Amino acid sequence: MAAEIERGWRDPALLAKALPSVLLQTACFLAPLLMTFALTFQKTKNFQLTWTWNLDVWTDVFSKPHYWTILLHTLEMAVVCVVLCVVLALPVAYALATRIKRFENHVKILITFAFLTDATLKTFGWVLFLDQKGAANFLLEQLGLPAGVVAILFTDWATMLGMVYGLLPFMIFTIYLSIDNIDRSLILAAYDAGAGKLRAFWEVTLPLCRPGIWAGVVLVFLLAVGVFLEPKVLGGGKSPMTAELIRQTFETRVNWPLGAALTFVLMTVAVFVILLFNRVYSLKRAMVTS
Amino acid sequence: MAAADLLDIVALRKNYGAFEALKGVSLSVRQGEFMALVGPSGCGKTTLLKHVAGFEEPTAGALRLDGKDMIGVPPAERPTSMVFQRLALFPHMTVAENIGFPLKLRRVAPAEVKARVAAMIELMQLKPEYLTRFPRQLSGGEQQRVALARSMISEPKLLLLDEPLSALDVKLKKVLQAELKRLHRSVGVTFLHVTHDLEEAMMLADRICVMRGGHILQVGRPDDIYYRPADEFVAGFIGETNLFPVEVTGREDGSLRYRSAEIRDVSGLVPAALAAEGLAPGPARMMVRPELIHIAGPIAGAAAFDCSVDAEITELFVKGGTIQYRACTPAGQEVVFEMPGTSRLPADLGDRVALGWNKADIFLFRASGG
Repeated sequence: MAAEIERGWRDPALLAKALPSVLLQTACFLAPLLMTFALTFQKTKNFQLTWTWNLDVWTDVFSKPHYWTILLHTLEMAVVCVVLCVVLALPVAYALATRIKRFENHVKILITFAFLTDATLKTFGWVLFLDQKGAANFLLEQLGLPAGVVAILFTDWATMLGMVYGLLPFMIFTIYLSIDNIDRSLILAAYDAGAGKLRAFWEVTLPLCRPGIWAGVVLVFLLAVGVFLEPKVLGGGKSPMTAELIRQTFETRVNWPLGAALTFVLMTVAVFVILLFNRVYSLKRAMVTS
Repeated sequence: MAAADLLDIVALRKNYGAFEALKGVSLSVRQGEFMALVGPSGCGKTTLLKHVAGFEEPTAGALRLDGKDMIGVPPAERPTSMVFQRLALFPHMTVAENIGFPLKLRRVAPAEVKARVAAMIELMQLKPEYLTRFPRQLSGGEQQRVALARSMISEPKLLLLDEPLSALDVKLKKVLQAELKRLHRSVGVTFLHVTHDLEEAMMLADRICVMRGGHILQVGRPDDIYYRPADEFVAGFIGETNLFPVEVTGREDGSLRYRSAEIRDVSGLVPAALAAEGLAPGPARMMVRPELIHIAGPIAGAAAFDCSVDAEITELFVKGGTIQYRACTPAGQEVVFEMPGTSRLPADLGDRVALGWNKADIFLFRASGG
């Protein structure tokens, strides 16, 4: 596979065939990216973009710790969200792929429904549920607990709840697919070799579904970094995350150069984290292989 | 049950919902024996093997290994080891890790694991440099040997083989069949080998168990299965055969009297030893294997043989070492027979000849559905 791709670079005929796709990618992906980058070197005056090249925005970004505090908070939230998603998704995916085969499709449809429901709707649904006089508190009151036990709305806890709820399906499905792809006789072979259920999971299932877990981690991390609805609606906008900051900068403050710069910072950090993940993962693989 | 029986299966039943996969199977495998389980797909042979391995629990019946009751004992605690149809080598482990895995689980010291893996590699005639490779880097035959090595390293009392050779090409299959036989002789472990290939079973096994539809039809040595099959199905399961319809009319001191419209037989008697046990009067089949039928001479002759029929040669194949004929009797019964090759054909297409065979070469069993 890798050899074929390498050869592709040197094969002019193959390159020619790829040209339309390369052009489309350039026009639709690379060009806007470059435009955004160019935008970071411009100025706004009276909410008007003026095309004069300067470094004002970048000096602003690097001199104010405010932006970096928000970015750090964003990364924190994203990492915690990823960890929670893995912890919650692994047993669900495992059960779905191996244990509850009879209800497999029903559960998958339910998860897909939750997944396909509009994000705004879901988020406001959580607001209604978590509200002081919402369903959660009402139910707990009926059970005899004091009024307003659930007081997490408009805190980071609510934001996290919304994020995990929204992103969990991505993690469940990627892990589920990798577990489902494991040849069942491998697990039987582990039992046959003398492994108990836990040992077989640890020695065979987990290593073989690790690529799925990593894929889910990368996917959920990227999506979690870009979340803005949850911190705004469920978090009450009290501790904004970078995506929300960018939205505000573009829409409310109409400072496009600053917004573009913040976008670039977020993107760079996200790509860096992914590369770091990748490096650790391939290092681990290399260690196993050697 | 003799003391030398390693595996005792008694009236084992398994239902999957309304489907009965095993309908009361009883089988004993002796210590050190090479037993083959054969039958068409869906006959329950693999299901039976999974019960022995512990992957399935029976609905009813008993399963004893080495005198110990195995019902409810998990696979990890049974003295069995399985070689899977698709080998099931762990793709994320090296060959050495794969082979050593059962020992690692038994907390054997790493140094000893290493030594025993090396010994196993040698027994399997694998190159030592393969130890650090991954299964996907090996050829099909080499993977096969690794799978065998992994199954044998924990020194199981009973090795279970679930059609491990079925995916290989014919040439490699022959090599590995010889290898299995050598391994069985040198290690002395009891083998229980599932295959749908009766030829393979005849080559390898000491005894063969033929299954069909969740039942055991016959257990016996390869020559029993081939020359003394229990019924029409077993007779037709391997190679070609001739089944002449006859009517058993009664018993006469140790012999069975029969009648046939076509077969010339002066005595009309068959020793009871050449008939299926408990064959009752009624429609039956006289089986004669193709290599046991001879051209006796012109029609209505064949005084030198106990039994004979007249037939016209309809087809002729020179197969190299052998010549195969197909012929048709006046009543329309097709007869296939085979003889060692000669430079001059003893009969040609369209010839009418008498075909003869000896009483000692026949076997009589009940006609199916009769």
